[in-house]
Amino acid sequence: MAGYAARRVLSAIPVLLFVSFVTFALIRLAPGDPVLIVLGGKRISPQLIEQLRVQFGLTGDPITQYFAWMGRLFQGDFGESYKLKQDVSDLILARLPVTLELILFSVLIAVAVAIPLGVYQAHRRDSRGDYAGSLFALIAVSSPVYFTAILGVLVFAVWLGVLPAFGRGGPDLLDQARHLLLPAVTLALGMIALTSRMTRSAMIEVLSSDFIEAARAKGLPERTIVVKHGLRNALIPVLTVTSLQVGFLLVGTVLVESTLGLGGLGSLITDSIQNRDYPVIQASVLLLAVAFTLLNLVTDLLYAAIDPRIRYA
Amino acid sequence: MTSVAATTPSFRRRVGASALVRNRAAVVGLVILVPLLLATIVPWLLTSADPNAQDLTRSLQGPSWQHLLGTDKPGRDVLARVIHGAAPTLLGAIVVVVISGAIGIPAGLFAGYYGGRTESIIMRILDALLAFPALLLAILVVATIGRGLTTAVLALGVIYIPAMARLVRSVTLVQRNQAYVDAGIALGYSDKRIMFRHILPNLVAAIVVQSSIDLAYAILDIAALSFLGLGQQPPDPDWGSMLSDGRSYLLQNPLPAMSAGIAIMLAVIAFNLVGDGLRAQLDPRERQR
Repeated sequence: MAGYAARRVLSAIPVLLFVSFVTFALIRLAPGDPVLIVLGGKRISPQLIEQLRVQFGLTGDPITQYFAWMGRLFQGDFGESYKLKQDVSDLILARLPVTLELILFSVLIAVAVAIPLGVYQAHRRDSRGDYAGSLFALIAVSSPVYFTAILGVLVFAVWLGVLPAFGRGGPDLLDQARHLLLPAVTLALGMIALTSRMTRSAMIEVLSSDFIEAARAKGLPERTIVVKHGLRNALIPVLTVTSLQVGFLLVGTVLVESTLGLGGLGSLITDSIQNRDYPVIQASVLLLAVAFTLLNLVTDLLYAAIDPRIRYA
Repeated sequence: MTSVAATTPSFRRRVGASALVRNRAAVVGLVILVPLLLATIVPWLLTSADPNAQDLTRSLQGPSWQHLLGTDKPGRDVLARVIHGAAPTLLGAIVVVVISGAIGIPAGLFAGYYGGRTESIIMRILDALLAFPALLLAILVVATIGRGLTTAVLALGVIYIPAMARLVRSVTLVQRNQAYVDAGIALGYSDKRIMFRHILPNLVAAIVVQSSIDLAYAILDIAALSFLGLGQQPPDPDWGSMLSDGRSYLLQNPLPAMSAGIAIMLAVIAFNLVGDGLRAQLDPRERQR
């Protein structure tokens, strides 16, 4: 296991370098001189322009620029926002908690709904409830998050008036949770769909195995059979899929936050795209991509820890 | 379901029921696809209204005989915009899948057929693309290189290559060990001939299923890019940008946003249903599920 883990961790390093290089290169490929974007049409002397170039690390050849940029990243210096004239790291740190809360809340909702749903569907296979569950999963996986978010606002905030439509909410925790509920449920829908499908098919496989028949033959209560013997064994593939799903929630937050006006990392990205604020786009996309890579790494390690066959493949 | 005996005799019947439902689902998918494809290819058959014609005296009207789905803020016919908005999204999605297939299928074939170093080089390069969540990379590329439908579609096409290549590689690996491949080698056929004339036809089923699932995802991603203002640019009709537009006057008239959103959803549902149905039909292992 240690050997596999070491190899897998090492293999993440070139991926991370690649991610950082792509993020850097794409921003450099962007049309328009960054300095002129910063100035926003103001005319200043060539000397001052040169000074700004040095300040933003835009001098020298691209390779040198890349390494200088990487060097600054490791010191926690993500550059300065063109638009807001603030440290990018401060901006990101201020926005990060909202996004993390949103993701955490979504994952909790998704797991709490999807696993019981999948277990129920597998246990009552081909019943009306099973079909209803599959239909729900199909619709949930096919709905764009930004549409369900808008629909949610319309139904729960405007028509029923039970949930707030927009924003982060007041200082107390309960109000914040109420504000987070709609975005979190919207974001969770896709994950509920995929996780419940996975749970269903894993449970069906487990429930048809011999040890379940043995448990039935022993006369164990159905509940014990399904939950204690069935679910425990089906949970392995389900949990790994779930951790992979979290990676896709990262992108979902970009869409949900900008739709529902939550000031997290996601809406920071969409705002800075509108403003062509490249240092902010660069840093926040890089952060999400690194998080995604690390999640994949953790998933692989988890899987290998649970299933020895992976380690020798 | 309290005893073993209760599950076993009905097993065959249950399997049959599952497969039948899957196929009925595929038919439903195809039925939804018909109007969508008509809207993509011959939109003028379905509506005579000009999707870009503004009439500020008729801003944000509700449904009427003249405007079945009402009008949007500049007074444009919502139905006409939904119908004409099908082309950028659906054709865009088709191009995405074609690009990913044009590169992904040969790449997967070569990797699976030759194995060894060829395989590791090809798969390493493609894995690098998977380091980013697909939509995030697309957002980054389109936001920096240039907004617009063309960039969005090209970017997504490249981003979708690894999924297709991985699938083709895995099914090629299975075919590689079949007797007919050895027979081809013994007859002195070239590798190219074996790969493209003999192995490829056996992969069609898997590729078709993957393509229809990819189409569903591509529609979601293209619409998401347009929603963020990175895809189709105004004033041309497009589902994603309609939804984003309609958001600002949702309270006065929710119909424009809802129509666009439902259109996206139906298209995605249709391709998912067709994909699931085909898979159930083509993959005997799936049929037992």
